[in-house]
Amino acid sequence: MACSLGGCTGLKRRSENIEVAIPFLIFSALVIIPLLLALDRLIYVSGKMPWQVFSSLDEHYLSQGAIGFTFTQALLSTVLTLIIGIPIAWQLGRYNWPKIRLIRALLTLPFVTPAIVAAMGFMAILGSDGLDIRGDKSTYLVSLLFAHAWFNIALVIRFVDPVISNIDPSMEEQLRLLPAGNSLQGRIRWFWFPLMYPSVLCAAVLTFVFSFTSFAMVRWMIPRNATLETVMADVGGAAGIVDYQIFSNELVLASSTIQFIVLIVALWLLSVLQAKRNQTIAEVSESYSRKRSRIGWMILTPALVFCLSPLLAVVRASLRIAERGPVSSHRWTLDGWKSAIGGDYAYISILDALQNSLGYALLTLVIALPLGWSLSSGIHMLEKRNSYWAKPLDVLTMLPLAISGIMLGLGILLGIIRISTVFFTFWWMPAVPHIMIATPFVVRLLLPAMRRQDPLLIENAQMLAMNRWQILTQIRIPLLRGPLIVAGIIAIAMSMGEFGASWILVRTGAWDTLPVLVDQMMSRPGFDPLVKPAAMAAASLLMITTLILFLLAERFRPDGDGGMF
Amino acid sequence: MLRVEDASKAFDKVLFKELKLELSSGERLSITGPSGCGKTTLLRCISGLEDLDAGKIFLNGIDVSNIPPERRGIGFLFQKPVLYHHLDVAGNLRLGNRDADVSSALKEVGLDGFANRKCEKLSGGEAQRVALARALLAEPKVLLLDEPFSAVDEKLRSRLLKDTISLLSSRGTPAILVTHNLKEAKSFSKNVIMIDEMIPKD
Repeated sequence: MACSLGGCTGLKRRSENIEVAIPFLIFSALVIIPLLLALDRLIYVSGKMPWQVFSSLDEHYLSQGAIGFTFTQALLSTVLTLIIGIPIAWQLGRYNWPKIRLIRALLTLPFVTPAIVAAMGFMAILGSDGLDIRGDKSTYLVSLLFAHAWFNIALVIRFVDPVISNIDPSMEEQLRLLPAGNSLQGRIRWFWFPLMYPSVLCAAVLTFVFSFTSFAMVRWMIPRNATLETVMADVGGAAGIVDYQIFSNELVLASSTIQFIVLIVALWLLSVLQAKRNQTIAEVSESYSRKRSRIGWMILTPALVFCLSPLLAVVRASLRIAERGPVSSHRWTLDGWKSAIGGDYAYISILDALQNSLGYALLTLVIALPLGWSLSSGIHMLEKRNSYWAKPLDVLTMLPLAISGIMLGLGILLGIIRISTVFFTFWWMPAVPHIMIATPFVVRLLLPAMRRQDPLLIENAQMLAMNRWQILTQIRIPLLRGPLIVAGIIAIAMSMGEFGASWILVRTGAWDTLPVLVDQMMSRPGFDPLVKPAAMAAASLLMITTLILFLLAERFRPDGDGGMF
Repeated sequence: MLRVEDASKAFDKVLFKELKLELSSGERLSITGPSGCGKTTLLRCISGLEDLDAGKIFLNGIDVSNIPPERRGIGFLFQKPVLYHHLDVAGNLRLGNRDADVSSALKEVGLDGFANRKCEKLSGGEAQRVALARALLAEPKVLLLDEPFSAVDEKLRSRLLKDTISLLSSRGTPAILVTHNLKEAKSFSKNVIMIDEMIPKD
């Protein structure tokens, strides 16, 4: 070697810095630049700054009450999710269950179920061929809250269950033998609460964010109540065009600014809470054998029914058709599937839509997985160096997770497509938001796995004179094979289920994805009895594809704290 | 003070059968024997963390066999020191006694000035000293020590043992030590029980 030790270290550090910088630049170009360009365009077209347009939300009939309603429903959804989710997570974490991996997979399935499928499932349960309560508008809000809780209980399970299941039993036993822990209240105060609250609040913050930005469920379950998300979706298509519907620019600017502030606060909170949560996880790193629960089935059985009902209801509704006549009745038929597979003048076949969805999903996989790997490696490298950049970059990768699909779609529509219409002709354009949405999931799955990896394994490989490429291909990738497969499958599932951004960017056409097709079908006038079963058939196909992918991913998920999702 | 009457416990095999044991006020007792012979299980049964298959446990003449562990007033020092990392050293000590004079308790175990330390920064020996101080602050009727010094080196172990004995003697707290190490058992108490033989030896 012709360089001094200090010189070599400097060179190594520089090449590592470049390795970290490149993926972050790509990621920023994908996520931040379209949003900044979109913001710039909205300000330019409306002629106002964000803080000058907040009042327009309450002045316009399309968005009156949207701010209050968005916050209220998100808050109530969060509370309901915790009420349902915590006892389930407690049962799963504290007790020994036969087939626990399957039970956990089924209970967390709703989170990866496309929101449009979930909305269809709840509509089917509540509709005329189910509980038949859709006629009563007073049930709309409660239905939405339960739908949001259904979607988000997986977050409570994923955050809280590993903390409970990895607790060293002697921690609780010791407290029981001390005066502070000789009552249940004492044990809750001194042990369970400090141990669990960071995880519960992490789940609560994310639930709030996802409920705050929920689109498909709000659009279908509360059709006449506007949230900030539906306001942006409704008027976003007309925004960004000079001298055309200026109010739409103001509404989008106001809604997106409020949403962005909420999301930034939520992300900051999440990062603080996650740091606290990691301390509790690090404290308890082994798995312990558990007792069997005697009454746990009374919680888990209804929970499983709750989680699976909307999914089964979608399949059932795809096989039922309303009969014309004075009395409302339905019969079993495959006509809905035949109509969906055949397609018609108004929409493409579900098989074509599936092909489109799979195409976008593969493109997402090819880009999001290596990008997510590079980002995770970069953050991990900075963490090992105790760099102050590690935390902000970690939070940056979570940004698209919190930004809604509609906002991402509008970012691309207003920030890129409205600048040059040639972008409209690029078939891959709808995949861009999918990559943006999938990448944080990849990072959240790979980064914890990298943190858990014993550094000695890499150091030992270096001592065996392996170069960086050999270490990557022969050591790091094989060791992280499980989380990589899970991340890849989840990226595909996220892309396939993505609705908001695709709804903004695709609408009707040959590039329709399955979720967009479901929405289109359901939006058609209801006088044709085949419309609903055909839409449900499309939703079923989407759900079955996601289900297969998810169950496949669960086979490779590591035990314990297998990442956020 | 503490009386164990005809205690029996079995998991896959019989660990102990019709075991009898008595400990008077201020007395110390060591229990030794090979791994898996039931030493730890016996302590867990006395503390109430495990139930006996048969037999009774009396504390100050009262049958506590069916009383939950948190109501028995028994202290326990686990093999691995159990400290709560969300609390600092002082916070951990206050779990033993809310009104504790933390600094003098720490001084007694040789950890003067450690009150505001984070628990994850403590060495194994320091952590076990904090756990001991906390257990003593709770003023237990009996203190059970389950190989609490096994994770520290030989030199430190004998020092910790000496300090523990002196703290127990000064308070008159009766205690039972479980250990593999016969030498340690003999240093801790006059009476040593080989649990596999269930014969008290001098």
